[in-house]
Amino acid sequence: MEQLRTQFPTDDFSLIALVLLLPLVGAFVCGVFGKRLGKQGVRTMALSAVGGSFILCLVAFAMLVGAPHDAHGAAGHAHAATRFTWNAWRWFTIDGGTSLVPIDVAFSIDPLSGVMMLVVTGVGFLIHLYSSSYMEKDPGYYRFFAYLNLFVFSMLVLILGDNLAVLFVGWEGVGLCSYLLIGFWFSEDKKASAGKKAFITNRIGDFGLLVAMAMLVYYAGSLQFSTLERSHASLAQMRTLWPIPGLELPAFLMPSEPFRASVPTLVALALFVGCMGKSAQMPLYVWLPDAMAGPTPVSALIHAATMVTAGIYLVARTSFIFALSPFAMAVVAGTGAVTAVFAASIAFAQTDLKKVLAYSTVSQLGYMFVGVGSGAFAAGFFHVLTHAFFKGCLFLCAGSVIHAMHHVIHDEEGSQDMRNMGGLRKHMPITHATFLVSCLAIAGCPFTSGFFSKDEVLFKAFANQIQTTQKGLWVAPAWYGQAIYAVGVVGAVCTAFYMFRAYFLTFWGDFRGWKIVKAAKSHGHDGHHEHHGDEPLEGEAPHESPWQMTLPLGVLAVFAALFWVVYAEPLHLTALERFWHPVFATASTHIVERAGAHAMMFPLLGVGAAIFLAGSGGAYYVYVLQGGKPAAAFVAAAPGLHRIVRDKWRVDEFYDATILGFIDAMGETAVAMDKWLIDGVIARLTSGIVQLLGALLRLLQTGRVQVYAASMVLGVAGIGWFVLTPHASAELDTARLRSSGDVTLTAAPGHGYSYRWAEGDAAPSGDFTTNASFTTKLDRCETRQVHLEVRNVFGGISKTTYTPCREMGNDCCTKGPAPAGGAKRAIGDATTEGGAP
Amino acid sequence: MTKMQTLEWAFFAIAALLTLGGAVATVAARRPIRGAMGLLTTILGICGCYLLLHAEFLATIQLIVYAGAVVILFIFVVMLLGSSAESPQDDRAKVSRYVGAGVFLACVLGAGALMTSVTAERSKALPAVAATYGTIEKIGQELFTEKVVPFELTGALLLVAVVGALAVGRGKQADPTLASTSDESNPAEDRPAGEEA
Amino acid sequence: MTVPISMFLVLAAALFATGAMGFLLRRNLLVLLMSIELMLNAVNLTLVAFNRIHPANHAGQILAFFVIAIAAAEAAVGLAIVLAFFRLRGSVRSDEATALKN
Repeated sequence: MEQLRTQFPTDDFSLIALVLLLPLVGAFVCGVFGKRLGKQGVRTMALSAVGGSFILCLVAFAMLVGAPHDAHGAAGHAHAATRFTWNAWRWFTIDGGTSLVPIDVAFSIDPLSGVMMLVVTGVGFLIHLYSSSYMEKDPGYYRFFAYLNLFVFSMLVLILGDNLAVLFVGWEGVGLCSYLLIGFWFSEDKKASAGKKAFITNRIGDFGLLVAMAMLVYYAGSLQFSTLERSHASLAQMRTLWPIPGLELPAFLMPSEPFRASVPTLVALALFVGCMGKSAQMPLYVWLPDAMAGPTPVSALIHAATMVTAGIYLVARTSFIFALSPFAMAVVAGTGAVTAVFAASIAFAQTDLKKVLAYSTVSQLGYMFVGVGSGAFAAGFFHVLTHAFFKGCLFLCAGSVIHAMHHVIHDEEGSQDMRNMGGLRKHMPITHATFLVSCLAIAGCPFTSGFFSKDEVLFKAFANQIQTTQKGLWVAPAWYGQAIYAVGVVGAVCTAFYMFRAYFLTFWGDFRGWKIVKAAKSHGHDGHHEHHGDEPLEGEAPHESPWQMTLPLGVLAVFAALFWVVYAEPLHLTALERFWHPVFATASTHIVERAGAHAMMFPLLGVGAAIFLAGSGGAYYVYVLQGGKPAAAFVAAAPGLHRIVRDKWRVDEFYDATILGFIDAMGETAVAMDKWLIDGVIARLTSGIVQLLGALLRLLQTGRVQVYAASMVLGVAGIGWFVLTPHASAELDTARLRSSGDVTLTAAPGHGYSYRWAEGDAAPSGDFTTNASFTTKLDRCETRQVHLEVRNVFGGISKTTYTPCREMGNDCCTKGPAPAGGAKRAIGDATTEGGAP
Repeated sequence: MTKMQTLEWAFFAIAALLTLGGAVATVAARRPIRGAMGLLTTILGICGCYLLLHAEFLATIQLIVYAGAVVILFIFVVMLLGSSAESPQDDRAKVSRYVGAGVFLACVLGAGALMTSVTAERSKALPAVAATYGTIEKIGQELFTEKVVPFELTGALLLVAVVGALAVGRGKQADPTLASTSDESNPAEDRPAGEEA
Repeated sequence: MTVPISMFLVLAAALFATGAMGFLLRRNLLVLLMSIELMLNAVNLTLVAFNRIHPANHAGQILAFFVIAIAAAEAAVGLAIVLAFFRLRGSVRSDEATALKN
């Protein structure tokens, strides 16, 4: 151990490089050489890359846990978290308005990212193992693993980033991999569109993240988390939003009092916009249900365990900024609560198993945001971890079921439809057992990890209050936490209900997929065959999946069941919370528990148990005891409501009509402009003008020599006229003008020219001489007129006048009136202008 | 005025009349042979002017080369062309033609006025010239010493002109069927390549 | 000499103008060539007249001499071209020389 510590010191922890490099190399090798390696080789490469990364993460985590604390205590920060940093290189420096801000490619491991990286690599490894069997028959096998490894790499970059810039790189990386993996079967238009939708919706959120980064650079002069945490108090300033400083506004737009907001509020809200996109909250959640078009392992890894949790990770990372703004926290918690209930309502009416799980993911993400939004960063993040386990397990079980269904029902929608399933607990015991365990966890059955994490979140929502020392900031009213709690309870009941609905529809009752026949049929399972009309399907019984798929199920189910031992506050097991305490210490100074709330912990625990019983009991009653008849009766009683809920409240259609319609309209306008304005006017007009000019010039090209000769004569006549008329012009030599006041005018020569000069007001008179130059002396700031008359051989006379001025450097020529020749200006006049030269 | 002066004026008047009359005849004649005769008259008038200006050598050359060669050349060509040399009466654009003539007259008068105003003072004092001015000896001396290069180049130019005239004027090789038998054989042969160019 | 030099210059100018008008307005190729000869003669007269004003050397007369030589050469070649043109078109109207039109 000590050797490791000397090899990787705390501030140059290059083990991180290895952790990051392994999946990257795996992605590269699988992507470039995948075809040559073959399925076996690709599998080995990918699994060993992620597995190796996981082992290194374990080593790093062990070092982190065992790191001596006194080193940091001596620095004076009693609460400082142990942090292993590694600075790869200086990326660039930007001008932050007041100072230069250096941005490095730097990574760090602290308790928060340490635990998260274990989850990412661990769950990632399990899902790699699962996919090695699930995607066995897919021709894009190597491409899949390349993308998957790339995703793990990007997620690690995101988590281990030491500043917001590196985090943003990882953020975009996971977005890209999500697009690639969702649209993995891109030859189908619907799936490719789902990938695009995910990416574009993410991008809308990323705009908020960029704005937040810009604000932090400007106000705090740094993007590094540790620096921001140390100086977070300096962010607590107010900023006038309306009227915009520096902008002139007409009187009727000026408010009576300027509208101000605090900078942490603005930064936190901008950060939360990014989280809304990445973690699928209202209103940017629309991409996640469509993302089920990708393979199921993708849904498990990306949309359950890791990518969507990046938003909560970001909030936890910048918890000290959020804690400075009660308004932003309230927005976060409120959005989370609303999303939780909204998504739960949609899940009631879905028949596709994966869609149910997708909406439950959106809903659970809402809970995580409720947690971090109420100041319970540890609780919220603990829910992230438990969700990774039970939702990952649920998705993998769903994949296992779909895999079994796909053998006979080749139609994709049919193989995922719960109405074709049923009674599978007889045929797929392992899948059934792990699905049940995870279902209990998500519904909040006591003594599963989901119970403790969800309960902790709700309790803290009920009990916490966010204070602020800054004057004039909006603080949430006292009933806000309780309102969030109430909404959360409603959502939890719904969660338990629809999850068990899915469980009962899939695993209980009679199998509705096809007629189970013992003997193998002639039109076998291999390949896809046409269904001839309405022939009822026949096939073998659905069978359990191979060990590569069931082993991860088992591991995840065990964690889902037992992970609560690290953090179960009612039972005084708070190892994880204490481990994370230094990370959230700065933020926690603003969070207080309301008086008398702590006594409510156990009663609320009872409420949690009641939630589970109500939800699961209700589902059992409706779907097992009554065989689904109450549900059908409800659908018959309120068909319109059912239709709207089944159509996801028509949110996608609303977006189509408004935002997308607006962009389409802009596109149409641009097309019209292009056709009429650019093509019609500019292109045709210019070509028309050129044609016109050409036609005019063509009139000269008659081919007749005499016409050409006539033009020559005209030209010669013009030149002759120019030569024969006198032209009066002179050059001023002002080299010595400023110093001594001498200015010399030299008239331009011409054939047979004679000249006549005069200065001042008098007109030239007398004889014309051949004297071509004229000198005069000016006083300071004096302007004088000089007249020149020129006569040529034929007696024609031309006149011109020049007005030189002796400029002394303070604009006295342009400011003062030009005097008639001879008036002097005193030097003292320069001071009346008021400015120094 | 003395007798000499009167003679000079008379001589000048005749020369000027010949010149301008011949010029107008050249330009306005319908038949080119008349135009050639007008050219000859102009040349004779110019020759007289040269004599007044003490340019005897040049006057001689003028007669030999211009009157004796160039005009003859013109007459040869007119004879070669025969009746085709004559252009039919062109009734088109009579008005523009008279307008053109009026413009021309105005230009002439304007040029005259311009010239007079410029050189009115100068001509009061013409320098006297030596008796050898404009003689063949003096010009010969200058030609073969200072201006020998242009002289040689002009010789070369004349050679080129001779060869060029031969080459262009000779036309196609021995084609007696041209212009006379055009009805039977290729009518297009008369106008080859002209339209396509 | 009692005749003022300006008279010669005016005469030359008139001759030149006549030649120019003939060149621009007549359509017979032969008349065109003859007009060119007129213009050249006018130039010669101007040169000789100015040489009379500055009789230091014979530059003007010698230049006129060269002009005569070149005018002769040009007349020869020009007439050869007229002949060729006549063989091509059958007439000597300059209107018919439209190959360079448009």
